[in-house]
Amino acid sequence: MQGVFTLFAVMLLLHLLTTLAIQLNGNPALAFFGDRAPSKSQLEAVEKRFGLDDVCYDQIGNPCLAQFGKRLGDYATGDFGTDLRGRAVTDIVATAAPNTLRLFLVVTITWLIMGMFLGSVAARFRGKAPDHGIRLISILIDAFPVFVMLLVYKFIFTVPISGWMADTFGKDSLGALLFKPSFSRDAPWATIIVPGLLLGLTGAAPFLRLVRASQLENYNADHVRTARSKGLGERHVTLFHIVRNSSIPVVTAVGFVFAEALAGAVITEGMMNIYGMGGVLWGAVQDSQVSVVIGMVSLLSIITIVVMFAVDILYAVLDPRIRYD
Amino acid sequence: MKARSLAAAAAALTLLVAGCGGGGNPGGDTSSAGGDKTVRLALTQDVETLLPMDSNVGDNIGVLEVVYDGLVRYDAQSTKPYNYIAEDVSSTDKTTWTIKLKPDFTFQNGEPVDAASFARAWNYAAYGPNGMANNYFFERFVGYDEMQGVTEEDDDGKITVQEEPKAKELSGLKVVDPTTLTVELTGPFVGFPTMLGYTGFFPIAQACLDDIEGCAKKPIGNGPFQIDQWEQGVRMSASKWADYKGSETPNYNKIEWTEYKGSSSWPDFQAGDLDTGAPPPSEWQSANNDPDLTSRKVVRPGAALTYIGFPLYKGAPYTNIEFRKAISMAIDRQAIIDQVLPGQEVPADSWVVPNGVPGGVAGTCADCKFDPTAAKAALAKAGGWPKGQKLKISLGQDDANEQYFQAIGNQIKLNLGIDYELDPAPDFFARRAARKFDGAFRNNWFPDYPLNENYLVGPYASGDAKNGNDTLGFYSKAFEDKLAEGDKAPDLDTAVTKYQEAEQELAKEFPTVPISFSQSVAFYSENVDNVVLDPFSGSTKLRLLNYVG
Amino acid sequence: MTDPSTAAAVAAHADQPIGPGSRSLWQDTFRTLIRRPDVIIALLVTLFFVFVALFPGVFTQTDPQRCDISVARIPPQWFGGQFPLGTNQQGCDVLAQVVHGSRPSLLLAFVVVGCSLVIGLVLGTISGFYLGWVDMIISRVLEIFLVVPLLLAALLLLSMFRNVPIGGPLASIVQPAIVLTAFGWMGYTRYVRASVLETKNLDYVMAARVLGASDGRIMFRHILPNAIGPVTALVPTAIAGVIATEAVLAFLGIGVRRPAVSWGIMISDGSQWFTGGSPHLLLVPLTCLLATILSFVVLGDNLRDALDPKLR
Repeated sequence: MQGVFTLFAVMLLLHLLTTLAIQLNGNPALAFFGDRAPSKSQLEAVEKRFGLDDVCYDQIGNPCLAQFGKRLGDYATGDFGTDLRGRAVTDIVATAAPNTLRLFLVVTITWLIMGMFLGSVAARFRGKAPDHGIRLISILIDAFPVFVMLLVYKFIFTVPISGWMADTFGKDSLGALLFKPSFSRDAPWATIIVPGLLLGLTGAAPFLRLVRASQLENYNADHVRTARSKGLGERHVTLFHIVRNSSIPVVTAVGFVFAEALAGAVITEGMMNIYGMGGVLWGAVQDSQVSVVIGMVSLLSIITIVVMFAVDILYAVLDPRIRYD
Repeated sequence: MKARSLAAAAAALTLLVAGCGGGGNPGGDTSSAGGDKTVRLALTQDVETLLPMDSNVGDNIGVLEVVYDGLVRYDAQSTKPYNYIAEDVSSTDKTTWTIKLKPDFTFQNGEPVDAASFARAWNYAAYGPNGMANNYFFERFVGYDEMQGVTEEDDDGKITVQEEPKAKELSGLKVVDPTTLTVELTGPFVGFPTMLGYTGFFPIAQACLDDIEGCAKKPIGNGPFQIDQWEQGVRMSASKWADYKGSETPNYNKIEWTEYKGSSSWPDFQAGDLDTGAPPPSEWQSANNDPDLTSRKVVRPGAALTYIGFPLYKGAPYTNIEFRKAISMAIDRQAIIDQVLPGQEVPADSWVVPNGVPGGVAGTCADCKFDPTAAKAALAKAGGWPKGQKLKISLGQDDANEQYFQAIGNQIKLNLGIDYELDPAPDFFARRAARKFDGAFRNNWFPDYPLNENYLVGPYASGDAKNGNDTLGFYSKAFEDKLAEGDKAPDLDTAVTKYQEAEQELAKEFPTVPISFSQSVAFYSENVDNVVLDPFSGSTKLRLLNYVG
Repeated sequence: MTDPSTAAAVAAHADQPIGPGSRSLWQDTFRTLIRRPDVIIALLVTLFFVFVALFPGVFTQTDPQRCDISVARIPPQWFGGQFPLGTNQQGCDVLAQVVHGSRPSLLLAFVVVGCSLVIGLVLGTISGFYLGWVDMIISRVLEIFLVVPLLLAALLLLSMFRNVPIGGPLASIVQPAIVLTAFGWMGYTRYVRASVLETKNLDYVMAARVLGASDGRIMFRHILPNAIGPVTALVPTAIAGVIATEAVLAFLGIGVRRPAVSWGIMISDGSQWFTGGSPHLLLVPLTCLLATILSFVVLGDNLRDALDPKLR
């Protein structure tokens, strides 16, 4: 119920902001004609396509609530609108979402492996060289803008590596596909791994820090001390008592950071030519395609809320102290 | 570089002749060769539709070039039109035109390509409420105005329809019999046959009209290729239409396009995943230093002119011709292009592209040469620039253009001491139409058909002595008179000369500052040769492309 | 449903101190920190760049906006040359740009973190102190902002409003500052609220209440000073985060407004030239950016460790 309220608020906020943006920026329909001055009837026709033919879009400060109500009604019937050339938003999402989900999956796995593994190592060797090394490197990678990494990868590494792989193992070998300079629709998994890995690397640092912190806390916790005093080996203690227990906040963070990866997706999808949610949304914002923007963000918000809810449940499963009434 | 592109064009012509010879048995050898002769290309623009009436960007024009056949086609080198589907296009008074079609051509769904199929497309495009991008091509047709309806624009720019259009069809367009069309224009226009090969004049099948949305995604063409599948935003593929009866058809049987939105396709070309590619500015140098790559490179002068306009409706200093000349001479066009858009532009010193279209000659703009000293003198003569004020340079939102105009602004600042401010805005066109600029602004003219007239009428002519033309507020009687003389000329060559004289009138007035003409560059893979670029869209001429595998 | 990020915040908060006498804590912290060489280095780097941002004239006399394209992309000439760090694609002096570019980058970070912190302190204190309906409203609003990810919101808002004209001396950073603050205050609010909840029932607060102190006095004299501690540790890391975010926004063309130059703008303009024969256009601003971020994160991490008695 609360989720529904939040969703409604997000949509309303978004509607008000896009409306204001159109009112301030002027008629996006005109840009459609480029260097030509359109005839008035044409302009009218295009405004209709954009769904901007209502008077309220020309009056600054008018919230256009009637339009919002109409949109909600359409959404209720499963009609999420179309882009300016009449392509249904649901169709766009159906094409774009699988690629973004693939990307997110790779990112999440990268985070989990990097975070859990390096975070545990850092915590285990707290204050010693591995700890400092891991933290330094993770901060550096974190601070490194993702577009620089992708650009260098795409322009310097892909061509020679994929060429060498193709010569050595064959043109359609996994190796050659892995290092393709752009996403390929024919090999959607192989060509998304490296971009996802790079995006995942840049986001892994906060995660790693969280794992390290929560494990450090556990090292000093009572149950771990008890385990140690029982004479259990350090390796056993680390694996069964520390790593397992510190996975609770990690699960939380996966859900939380999931939402944050979308911005990185805009850049990654754009540079690696992946037709995904981030890139489409970004393009729609640039072209002032209101119905696409609101439709997609609403869908994304629904996903975010669902993920958060799922994480909540998982959280309760992992930590017996939390119970729902 | 020039020599090479000429050689390529010569080869193209040879091929063309050979193609004509084998026209009796079209598609025969290609289907027997069968197999996998696939050409892989990139689409870099945002292709949104494949409806001929609505296609107006280089990429969908390039795709439709092999999917549809027009009445006329253009010679790859001279850009002159020759009849293709048309048997004959003629007129005695240059106002009423008779178009005779060759019989027996069909659409890919079996419908005949007859006079009605052209009328159907043209009426659809001309009908204002359909909102087709190529609507304005029919402005010269009798009956166009009646198809636009009456609309009213209030003070806020809000448009309301007062009256629905009276007519749904162009009254000046008549289907006489299945192979004859007559077109009545509002006035004499000798360049009319030149327009007919443009995408906006392609015919459509009745089945296409019945399902416009479907047809925009999966066209029913009459050309040598059929679109198999289009995953919008991702990729598109086309394969050869076995029953094609025309003579011009390439030797490969499949085309695969990959869409690139914003990202560079250059590494994909380098990796061998694409058959043509062009490097981004930062890779330009290394690409040109690679002898292997440059052995497979074509350069073709384009036709789009980038120029700086001024709000002549705002008065001084913009109305002062010396001020405009000062700006023009302060800009080192070549240095800017070398850094910002290497290979993609060439400095302009005329308002009509030289050698690109009939009547275009270089050097009509004498003050387009970089000369900082003369620029300073001209500025002084114009009375200088108000101290402390910034020159606003408005343009649309586009990263490459922002870089380009930043460099132009830097030159103005460096050589004239006029500080500038870039103003990239999404409502650029709206503001331009509403005459809301108070500074210089970017313009780009992309001709629709190869005739010098096209560069002059659209951007400068209005017939409105009081307010001047829409975007600039420019008016010159001498200029408009020359244009009118050209329109009434008995033949195209005389017309072209008159239009040239009009350009000279324009040069005297110096309303705008030409900056650069576009140039297309393509590198190609070992799989293909005979790569010829279209001077208008910059895309590869697919019918001339030769697959060598 | 309990909010996951509350859980995260509380979990992360659990290793924060429960306010003992604040003065001794700060003294302890200071003593711990000053003994560590990495902290000293980080502090020096940070101060250096802050100094550069405050007094660019000390380092260069060249106007970063004076660009001559005929001398474009000159490699660094180091000391003695006219262009010690070379010129960029437009022919502007890279040294002048990187020196002047530090100001928008750092200013944006300080403004965003400063404003978010103030909002977080005020709302967190009020919400934790009064609970009830005040808390509920703040929590609801907070949730709305949480559902929309920071960068997504920034992308949408900044590109929609990037053309709205803004005047004044801060014009170049106002928009990103507002948006990043609007979607950056939630974390601080939660932290503060959590520590207020803990502090509220401590004996000395009870005592103040019994003695008849007003709500305002209790909040700002007794509770807030204790709640500030844990939040402080977040500040340097958050500053580093905003500096990094600015670079990403610049790449998308929606960060600091041109013609102002920021490190992010320099990096995004220069990144393509890294492979195109002028690597200095990327390396110079990137080095400054990385050094600054690294320093802030080191400071933040150490501050956090020092403030955490459990980890000593």
